[in-house]
Amino acid sequence: MPNRDARARVDLLQGTLDLLILQTLRAGPAHGHTIAKAIEVRSDDVLQVEQGSLYPALHRLIKRGWISFDDGTSENNRRAKYYRLTRKGRRQLEAETSKWKTLAGAIARVLRPA
Amino acid sequence: MSGRRHLDDLDGQIRDHLDRETEDNVARGMTPQEARAAARRKFGNVARMKEDARAVWVPVWLDQLRQDARYGVRLLRRQPGFYCVATLTMALGIGATTLLFSLAYGVLLKPLGWHEADRLVRVTETRQGHTGRVAGTISNGTFLAWRDHPSTIEDLGGWQTEAATLTGAGDPVRMTIVPATPGLFAILRVRPLIGRLFNEGEGANGGPGLVILSYGLWQERFGGRPEILGQFLQLDDQPYTIVGVMPREFAFPDREARAWTAWNVPGVIAEGGMHIGVIFRTIARLRPGATPAQAAAEATSRARGAPDLGLAARALFGAAGPIDVSAVPELQAMTADVKPAILVLFAAVALLLITATANVAGLQLARATARRHEMAVRAAIGAGQRRVIRQLLTENVIVGLSGGAAGVALAAGLLRLLPSLLPAGVPRLDAVTLDMAVLGFGLALSVTAGIACGLLPAWHIRRVNVVETLSEDGIAPIGGALRSSVARTRAAIMAGQVAIACMLLVGATLLTRSFVSLVRADRGYDPVNVLTARLPLPSDYPAERRHQLLETVLERMRGVPGVSHAAYGTALPFVSFGGFTAFNMRSPRNPDVELNVQAAQRVVSPDYFAAMRLRLVAGRTLLEADTTTTPPVVVVNRTFARQYLGDRPIGFRIPQRGPRAGGIRFPDGQADWEVVGVVEDMRQEVDSPLQPEIFASVRQITAETTNVGFDPILVIRTATDPTAYAATLRRLVREQAPTLALDSVMTMEDRVMASLAEPRLYAVVLVWFGVFALLIAGVGLFGVLSFSVAQRTREIGIRAALGAQGRDIVALVLRQTLWIVGIGVLFGVAAAVAGVRLLSAFLYGISPHDPLTFVAVPILVVVVAALACLVPARRAAILNPLTALRA
Repeated sequence: MPNRDARARVDLLQGTLDLLILQTLRAGPAHGHTIAKAIEVRSDDVLQVEQGSLYPALHRLIKRGWISFDDGTSENNRRAKYYRLTRKGRRQLEAETSKWKTLAGAIARVLRPA
Repeated sequence: MSGRRHLDDLDGQIRDHLDRETEDNVARGMTPQEARAAARRKFGNVARMKEDARAVWVPVWLDQLRQDARYGVRLLRRQPGFYCVATLTMALGIGATTLLFSLAYGVLLKPLGWHEADRLVRVTETRQGHTGRVAGTISNGTFLAWRDHPSTIEDLGGWQTEAATLTGAGDPVRMTIVPATPGLFAILRVRPLIGRLFNEGEGANGGPGLVILSYGLWQERFGGRPEILGQFLQLDDQPYTIVGVMPREFAFPDREARAWTAWNVPGVIAEGGMHIGVIFRTIARLRPGATPAQAAAEATSRARGAPDLGLAARALFGAAGPIDVSAVPELQAMTADVKPAILVLFAAVALLLITATANVAGLQLARATARRHEMAVRAAIGAGQRRVIRQLLTENVIVGLSGGAAGVALAAGLLRLLPSLLPAGVPRLDAVTLDMAVLGFGLALSVTAGIACGLLPAWHIRRVNVVETLSEDGIAPIGGALRSSVARTRAAIMAGQVAIACMLLVGATLLTRSFVSLVRADRGYDPVNVLTARLPLPSDYPAERRHQLLETVLERMRGVPGVSHAAYGTALPFVSFGGFTAFNMRSPRNPDVELNVQAAQRVVSPDYFAAMRLRLVAGRTLLEADTTTTPPVVVVNRTFARQYLGDRPIGFRIPQRGPRAGGIRFPDGQADWEVVGVVEDMRQEVDSPLQPEIFASVRQITAETTNVGFDPILVIRTATDPTAYAATLRRLVREQAPTLALDSVMTMEDRVMASLAEPRLYAVVLVWFGVFALLIAGVGLFGVLSFSVAQRTREIGIRAALGAQGRDIVALVLRQTLWIVGIGVLFGVAAAVAGVRLLSAFLYGISPHDPLTFVAVPILVVVVAALACLVPARRAAILNPLTALRA
């Protein structure tokens, strides 16, 4: 059984990852690998996540109705799933983004050298 | 839910992802192998990821439950012996408990099938606390007084139960018919399948006979043809018009009823001012909102204000005091007699289930000890404690469920046999079925029993020390079996099982001894070697022909070798009470006191006393010499003499002048009856209250002076087994009267035994439960001890090597176990002393604290326990020290 601290860390990570996925999909539908790459690039490799953990996160977001998916065929004729943001997901992203901004601003103010 | 579909393609997505990553890596200049490995590294744990993705959709516990179940099944399949024993034990316990639950639920709890049955109340009348001669009835006076404008009830419905011979529809058949008032059907809110019900006023005395058929009778005797409506059938040679047929499910008062005839409650005062008293069963439907207590109060006040039945009431109730009417919900009234017995059996079976479950728990505990290593390994590779416990519980629930399934199957099988297993007269057996409630109960029981079995081992692995267990080299440490917590728990289970066996055996012994004293009880007559039978006669059968027929048959019967006496009469215990009479007379002790006499009146042939071996207390019995030309004489029973006649009953003259109700009259209606003898009380139920009785001779009554039309009961005393004479008796009757047939041909002993079917059943069932519980305890003890001997092999080897004799080792092993047994017996006896109060209502002729029982049962339990221990103890004693130390 993970102890309480560990669980809190996971929750934090999950929330962050979810936000990153939503943010990535704002640009348009993408499949799993593309999302993973984009997150890597966008976060300047600061947020190192195992690529595998992307998939449970995608499932979680589908279940919440924030993203949906289409079965499609990718450029080199491989079957792939394309994930895209739903309207509900977009609203969620906006809400989360403003919350983050507020929080980040607050933390930045707190940490600013006096 | 469409998202869930997403899971199906998870493998494909992962493959796609890894391929793309590999391609990217190759593009960066890696070799294909490196690229692939790097991609996998970056992806992380695939299995873990899949599990997490799955967990989004499927609750984790459900997934784990599935895993645990799979693992449990695999584990149990590897140990078929354990699995079989555990399942079988559970099956017996759960099966027996489910069966008793279906009985208790069906009989006691399930609502009656009538519309809004909770508003139906059974109405019963008592006078000065005396019920009617037939218990649970009311008189016509009360019925009629209440029926006119009642405010608490909608209406009353009354019925009687009779036997009648149906002729004119195939072979003559004797069956139960129910004369019912027209209102009864309205109260029950039933409709006929075809035809109509009785209308108000139909069934009045002198009116045409009307009958409604049961579905069964209609099908069997009338081919289910609707045209039979309006046709006639003959019941006891009287014509009845068929007006309707009831639906198949209609069974009132029970399944025995084959037809209902229209009947009207007669008024209290007949023409000529004579009192007419009738008692019969009655139900009423409460108005919405009315309570049974209000109804009873209303009925009581109406009944007290109604015209009195006078002497008839005393003949019918044995008392003339103030009337009390009670109204009890029908379900409660129907089941009041059987409720305590069902509850006692249920308690017994619950104890059995507990002890069976404890046995499986004990086995599991032994396995848990053996599985400590496995548990430690699982803990070491990261299984949380809860996860391990949940796994153990799942495993046990599997055992519980398979045991439960087998048990419910067993219960289903026994359920069909139930009507033949149970004594006659248990109501509502139709309602006892294996329905959803019973199945649900069985399921809940299975799961609970499984969890109960798993909790003990689970509680123990809670403290498994991983490092310690894994570093053990598999050799059990030397130490007393009681020193580990597991062993202590097993000892507690054992003591509990011994205690339960003790309790059940105490109950079984008490009930058995009570049954034996019931069989042996002095009933005033000797039931051994007596053949009895009833000869149903048409109601208009002439008295002279009856007299002649019986005299001829009995005379010839007396001529049969081995027959010592052949007699007949209107009454016989378990067959008929005969008639009842009530009159007033001056007390022999004090002529100023007028006695209200009420007594059963029996008309018998003179040989009756000898045939029954009814003991004479004083004077003489009736003789062949007492005829219509000699003064009327009677013999009374001891209770009559004590209650009304005082110290010198012989020679007392009972006056015949003045009003009287019921009973027979002698040719000279004015002559006094002279009491010539006193006989012992003839008891039917050994514990029922004694009633005054008068015996008159059939030789002194004639057709003109008596209106007694009765079905004579034949009593034949034989030298050997009386059943051998049944065929002769039947033949003699057939020869004399080809149209008549004997009914209810049975030995008197069988009648007594049949009346004891209920106590016998309870004794037998409890003996079985007790033996089974003892067996379980014995097997459990054997297991515990074998286990402990095996654990202590090294210790015993060392002792033997140091010079301990076999005797010492046996003593060493026994001492500890018998200590457990002793504690168990102590608790069992203490619990039994407290619990026998439950049983006291079922005991006859024996104290609930019968010393013999409370000494014998503990001895038996200790002996069986010692036997169970002896085998493992001996095995320990003959242990070779060399082998033991190398083990």
